[in-house]
Amino acid sequence: MNKIALILSFLFAYGIGFAQIKSNEKLIYAASYNMSGMMTQLAQVTMSTDMIKTTKKSFLHLSWEASTFSKWDKFFKIRDVYETYVDPVTLKPSLYKRSISEGGYTKTEKYIFSGNGRSINSSSKKQNRPETKKTVAIGSSTRDIISMIYKLRTVNFSKFKPGQNASFIIVFDEKEYPVYVKYMGLETVSAGNLGKKQCYKLSIAAKTDKLKGRDKNLIWITNDPNKVPVLIRFSIPVGTGQLSLSNASGI
Amino acid sequence: MRKFLVISAIIFALLGIVFTILPLGTIAFLPISIAVILSGLAILKSKNSQRKLPKIILFISFLTLLVVIGKVIFIKDVVKSDSQFELKKEESKKEDIKDLEGL
Repeated sequence: MNKIALILSFLFAYGIGFAQIKSNEKLIYAASYNMSGMMTQLAQVTMSTDMIKTTKKSFLHLSWEASTFSKWDKFFKIRDVYETYVDPVTLKPSLYKRSISEGGYTKTEKYIFSGNGRSINSSSKKQNRPETKKTVAIGSSTRDIISMIYKLRTVNFSKFKPGQNASFIIVFDEKEYPVYVKYMGLETVSAGNLGKKQCYKLSIAAKTDKLKGRDKNLIWITNDPNKVPVLIRFSIPVGTGQLSLSNASGI
Repeated sequence: MRKFLVISAIIFALLGIVFTILPLGTIAFLPISIAVILSGLAILKSKNSQRKLPKIILFISFLTLLVVIGKVIFIKDVVKSDSQFELKKEESKKEDIKDLEGL
């Protein structure tokens, strides 16, 4: 009994809360892009979870889908899917997939995590080029970008002081990147059908040219057991934008 | 000066029309407002006999302004159901389950 208590206190001390990601959760966001200083709504992003059972194991399927609003489809149609199958408790990924279709440009990517999460068998395909396959060695704690975001939701930020970091390592485009999440304090923001919510404001930084600026990539997650991401602001080489929660269900 | 105002007003009115056709939402207000201001100034700077063209530009600008307001109020941001995309996702999920069975 004492051992269990010791393990639990150790995990909480290191900010690894047992906040569980529920199955059948659906979060709908409006994605806006900054055009000439004005935010223009471009697409709908849906984050959803569902349980998948195989003969041996159950997996939590985490999915992010981006679809342009119909008025944009004629000009620049986006149908992106980022998904990962993870252990329902540890959120350790087993299979990650990315399917991009953006204005005629297509790319698919699949990582099968093998060797106890020490390597990924990657297969990727761009446009009409032939599929390439590769095995990439990774660290045991390396995860994909989607499971990282969900893992972030299990971190116990109530123990953090402003300026304190949590770190992750992600694999993206077959390369590993360290990601630092800085806790910046509490802020109240509008959270769609959830009303106004007090949130943890977090700044995300990674050693990559895909993210720009210092404290320009921000995420607000609710200060409650659900830890719902309600607002995401990003700054990328081609501009800035945001995802704001419009509807949350199943939480 | 009058010529400059009229030419600029025409350019911004045309930009306003393009922005109104494209689904750019409230961004279209920017060129339209400029076209309204410039065509208004052009009317003030014109003699009575020269006011026809800036008046037409002003009318077109107001018209596009109404269209943009209408679009903002009545056209909601919706994602059209895409059967091809849904089918692709279903097939992909079946493939994923096969991969997961092998792990």
